Amino acid sequence: MGLREQATDGEVVQAVLAGDVEQYAVLVRRYRDRYARFAARMLGSLDAAEDAVQDALVRAFDQLAQCREPDKFAGWLFLILRNRCFAERRRQTREGRGLEATDEAVAGPDRPDGNVEQVERTRALEQALVKLTPEQREVFVLKHVEGLAYEEIAAMTGATVASLKMRMHRAYDRLRELLKEHS
Amino acid sequence: MTQAYHQLVKRLLDGELSLSDLPAELRAEGAEALRLLGTVDRTPVLLPVQLDARVMAEVRRRARSPLRRAWRRLVEPRDVELRLRVRPWVVWGGALAVAATVALLFAWPPPSPGGARPVRMAARDSVFVRFVLYAPGAKRVAVAGTFNQWDQNAAPLVRLGAGGIWTITLALPQGQHQYAFVVDGERWVPDPAAPGIDDGFGRRNSVVAVTAHGARTL
Repeated sequence: MGLREQATDGEVVQAVLAGDVEQYAVLVRRYRDRYARFAARMLGSLDAAEDAVQDALVRAFDQLAQCREPDKFAGWLFLILRNRCFAERRRQTREGRGLEATDEAVAGPDRPDGNVEQVERTRALEQALVKLTPEQREVFVLKHVEGLAYEEIAAMTGATVASLKMRMHRAYDRLRELLKEHS
Repeated sequence: MTQAYHQLVKRLLDGELSLSDLPAELRAEGAEALRLLGTVDRTPVLLPVQLDARVMAEVRRRARSPLRRAWRRLVEPRDVELRLRVRPWVVWGGALAVAATVALLFAWPPPSPGGARPVRMAARDSVFVRFVLYAPGAKRVAVAGTFNQWDQNAAPLVRLGAGGIWTITLALPQGQHQYAFVVDGERWVPDPAAPGIDDGFGRRNSVVAVTAHGARTL
């Protein structure tokens, strides 16, 4: 007997832990796209974001028994994906492969409204974003792309509001500098 | 070198002020900053539908794995009904032996050259754990782990004198925590006083297990 799509995350997690592995598809459908934009902006590539989300979902299944609050599966999955994005960034830095360029699709695809200047500015901003530190980029993406308040970001990441603001304010200055260079 | 934004302009970008709240001389800078935010692309990203099938194929493969089944049998809690028929002197003797063992453990803690070790009990369900790293050339050292969401700014270590010893004591909840030291904000170092485990992404982490009786590295 399958769970309804309306089942809570906690009910689905309990069903999977009890051996009904197929119920995990409910969580995959529910969260596959929720954090895709975050991963794409963090990694500067749709392909890398797809890999990161896929890895995070598989890793979450592997560690499901360690999810202490199954009803907060979404936040727990976010932390796994966040660690995956940070690890990917560190790996690229170690290998000397900086995120110098972003995918066309991530860096602002051509729009039907034909506002070329706006598209160009969006691309410039996306390319500047990947030159921030991962911590600065994360807080910028969560606040200005995902639209979260500092308090919500603090609850998700465990950082204090004061340290998040400090990172963000440094990010503003760095972005201004990078966009000046670009223009 | 581009000039940094004025603090009031940063508060404008944070949404705490409006453009009209700024003094007249800052409004042009504020307008420029708002144009920057106006270019943020908030278009939703939708991943290919094939991702679901790929994830579920991998999930099924892992669920079938004999290794995973064996691991689950080992780690998953289960109800066990235990019936014992003992004489009262066995119970009292056993209790005394356990009490003596616990007393010995607390009287002579095993020596630890560094790394993570218990200090004393913290609040209920937490234990104070001291992290120690010998890093004579470092300018700053922090410890990041699952207990602080790998935030490398959350737990900076303090240098003890000029000898290169860095230390911090944290109250950690009971459970297993992975961690690593971050030296000078860029170099991730596993605890040299503890065995490392692969984090799955090519880096080594250390693990500390915190119980009601203390903490030990794994």
